[in-house]
Amino acid sequence: MTTAELLEPLARLRTDEIVVTAMSTVRPWGRLSDHDLDFASADSAMGHTADLALGLALAQPDRRVVCLNGDGSMMMTLGTLATIIESGAKNLVLFVIDNGTYEITGNQKVPAAGVVDWAAMAAAAGFWRTYRFDDAAAYAMTIGEILAGEGPVFVQVKVERGNARPISRSQIEEARYLKTSMATWSRQMRATLMEDNS
Amino acid sequence: MKKEEPVEQVPVPQAALAIEALESLGATHVVGLPDNGHAALYELLETHPSIATIPVTREGEAWAIASGLWVGGKRPVLAIQNCGLLESGDGLRGTTMRMRVPLLCFISYRGFDKMSANGIEPSLDVDPEELTREDLDSAALLLEPTLRVWGVPFYRYDSDDDAALVMEAWQQAEREERPVALLMTRGLRAGDVAPRPR
Repeated sequence: MTTAELLEPLARLRTDEIVVTAMSTVRPWGRLSDHDLDFASADSAMGHTADLALGLALAQPDRRVVCLNGDGSMMMTLGTLATIIESGAKNLVLFVIDNGTYEITGNQKVPAAGVVDWAAMAAAAGFWRTYRFDDAAAYAMTIGEILAGEGPVFVQVKVERGNARPISRSQIEEARYLKTSMATWSRQMRATLMEDNS
Repeated sequence: MKKEEPVEQVPVPQAALAIEALESLGATHVVGLPDNGHAALYELLETHPSIATIPVTREGEAWAIASGLWVGGKRPVLAIQNCGLLESGDGLRGTTMRMRVPLLCFISYRGFDKMSANGIEPSLDVDPEELTREDLDSAALLLEPTLRVWGVPFYRYDSDDDAALVMEAWQQAEREERPVALLMTRGLRAGDVAPRPR
């Protein structure tokens, strides 16, 4: 499955969910979506995407939060799987894009790539809804189910490695959510969410 | 702001008063990894009607979760131990600092008593030999220098008189859009304040 085959079905179904991207999904998602509730966990703290998404989910329990995390990133904070379960968040959908490499630094191998069973690890941590895909068609048929119902949901998706390069936050970036600093985007998103909640 | 009498002669500060201060500033969540110094705080918060606790598996998650909570419109507070701060550096840098999240942080000052008993004040000019001494806690020696170098304002919280620091530190965090730390030099005890009726 390619990154595009992962993201395009999600983009078609996405309505008012918060979507948090990381690493290899940041730019491709930014080409598919121009939404005030997209958040790029980029040029930030490596490995701290799922936990940041959890914070958003806990703050906005009536809104689904979709986190597109990388396998390398997830490996850095495996304990977050337990933290998510302990928190009781029911609105978080956590994807792990399993391409086996640290793509944006040149495709170095993630430890135990191809051996680690992410969906099984999530199930063992307490996720009662887990999915595993390596076929684009099966994934596209199931994405609607993934986004519905009570979570937290864990989705392992085997994706072909790409050639994403390090991500910047600057005006030269194509995606709107990369054209400003994290601080500026965070404030804008906070204002949007607080206005929506009022 | 600070008194002069030796802190050893003053009762250990009460968690109940700290919690009253958190209520006054409208805190919604306390995020952290429970430790000896904060045990009374977490115990009292277990049944708190308006402040939720989010336990993490490692302190780096706490910064990211708190930052996500803030973007989502909430008012989180952090409570971790000094060695947890040292462990979590990039989580702090890449989320809370990079996003300019105004965040009040309680940090237990493990080893403060040993440092004081030896008449040592923390210094940026770290003595490698002191870091290895059996009668000193290296986490205590490194806490204030680390915060100073990282530009995180901090204040020592020694007694119940310092409960007022909670609001002051939070207001500073809001004003300056950055984390501000209260260093719990002696931990917290549950306290004599009447427990909240359930």
